[in-house]
Amino acid sequence: MKWFDEFFERQARAVAQKTSRRSALTKISRALVGTAFLLPVLPFARVAQAAHGGGAAPDAKLDPMNDTHCEYWRYCSLDGFLCTCCGGSVTKCPPGSQASSVTWIGTCHNPDDGRDYIVSYNDCCGIASCGRCFCNANEGERPGYRLSVHNDVNWCMGNESSIYHCTVSVVLGVSGGAG
Amino acid sequence: MIRASNILRVGFALAVWCGAALAADPLPPEKIGVATAPVPTPHRLYLTDLQIAHITDGVVHIVDGQSFKYLGMFSTGLFGITALTSDSSEMLVASTYYTKRNRGDRFDQLEAFDTKTFALKKEIQIPAKHAMALPYKGTIAPSVDDAWVFIQNATPLSSVTVVDHKAWKVTAEIPTLGCWIVLPSQSNPRRFATLCGDGTLVTVTLNEKGDSATQARSEKLFDAEKDPLFVQGERVGDSYYFVSYEGNVKVINVGGDVAKVEDAWSLVDDADKKAGWKPGGYQLQAVHAATKRLYVGMHDAAKNGSHKNPAKEIWVFDLATKKRIQRAPGSNSIAMALTKEAKPTLYAYDGINLNFVRYETAPELKPVASGDKVGDFAGLIETH
Repeated sequence: MKWFDEFFERQARAVAQKTSRRSALTKISRALVGTAFLLPVLPFARVAQAAHGGGAAPDAKLDPMNDTHCEYWRYCSLDGFLCTCCGGSVTKCPPGSQASSVTWIGTCHNPDDGRDYIVSYNDCCGIASCGRCFCNANEGERPGYRLSVHNDVNWCMGNESSIYHCTVSVVLGVSGGAG
Repeated sequence: MIRASNILRVGFALAVWCGAALAADPLPPEKIGVATAPVPTPHRLYLTDLQIAHITDGVVHIVDGQSFKYLGMFSTGLFGITALTSDSSEMLVASTYYTKRNRGDRFDQLEAFDTKTFALKKEIQIPAKHAMALPYKGTIAPSVDDAWVFIQNATPLSSVTVVDHKAWKVTAEIPTLGCWIVLPSQSNPRRFATLCGDGTLVTVTLNEKGDSATQARSEKLFDAEKDPLFVQGERVGDSYYFVSYEGNVKVINVGGDVAKVEDAWSLVDDADKKAGWKPGGYQLQAVHAATKRLYVGMHDAAKNGSHKNPAKEIWVFDLATKKRIQRAPGSNSIAMALTKEAKPTLYAYDGINLNFVRYETAPELKPVASGDKVGDFAGLIETH
């Protein structure tokens, strides 16, 4: 299935470059808003917080460089459990799980270097749901007819075991739209 | 210091309690049984819940919307996608199982639960590729006459499994590359359309046996790039009402060989646009044909990525005049559905508090009651 994976990844990258380019206006407005930039309180994020004793302190939650919080810059279109809370890292699945062979992608702004990056959201598969640090962000997300930028399906679907565990965020490269 | 009168009072109460206990008959021996499901009403609600923290254990919650009493549930396995049959007699579920729960051999099934008894009625193995999707209307759909069941697949390549409902067997797998969601036609039960990533719709028409099909692609009917349609379509006859990310309505007829746009208008005026009002949610709209009403979950200050936000308000539109006639409180709705009645009730699912909210729709839309928490990761309501 290597040909297929490569085909899909090429398609995904192409779509990402077309879909999620930020306009200069967005960049400016985000710079103006600065740290006050607040992700919406999404229903499922709230569920996860409620299930885990209310989550972290509000100021820590807004830190775009803390990779165990939903506000971390790479998670701009991540819908799932953070592998950083499940024994893995930003780019590594937790021990004993398997990385998904197919992914969805997003284009996220790194406030540290000012660049936009194409991020591959690989699900990690094969063991029970992690159940920790649920996030639901949807920048550039599109419905299922644009599947490669859709996050409401299980991206473990192509694996031998399609049981969903958590999600990592792997930088594929600088977005073609980055200035 | 304890006063003597208090001691007397406690002693008296104790004596009364002991006397009452001694006088009552002992409880008789009991037998275990199974409750009978109540007779369904139009206010029975089915809520599909992925249970993401226990993902092999999805359910459909069954709740009486009038009393908000919890009535029971159907088990839906791993990423079970669900749809009531058109006659509401069965809940159809397409799901995946592994022989060792989270590993081993995969097999996918179509299951039919009896809505009278809540028992599993029948099950059949289907191609092991059902779309492991969040609860969205149209990921699985019966034909309007319940002769066929259409199941969205994703490997991630897209196709649709066709099941002959009466014979209870798989008749075909129709490739629908790049397309998503099944939109059955009313006038031709062997026809459905599907939304595609290039902004077209593909119309699939099955032969009588359901084992082969012709396909016809429409011209570009929507802009999947700049103003994507939310996939939830509300059907009136052969016409589906869609709303878009930017707040536009598009009515698409799927009755013919090729899908066509029948009508289009905007939900938002200049002032609304300035305040950033846009539609949001999962099952974010409901249409009632007889009263000519469209209900849409809306939020303001919308931005890139806010399209699944809970509703701040529910806006009511008159389908005849295409004008907004009311703005009602949103109850954080992420899903909504109307009862199938001449004078309908609207039920919303609050995505923050995770409970149902009941709305009167006449003389105007108004939240009147809410239930206790139900569900963990739910996003689709169906009414009986």
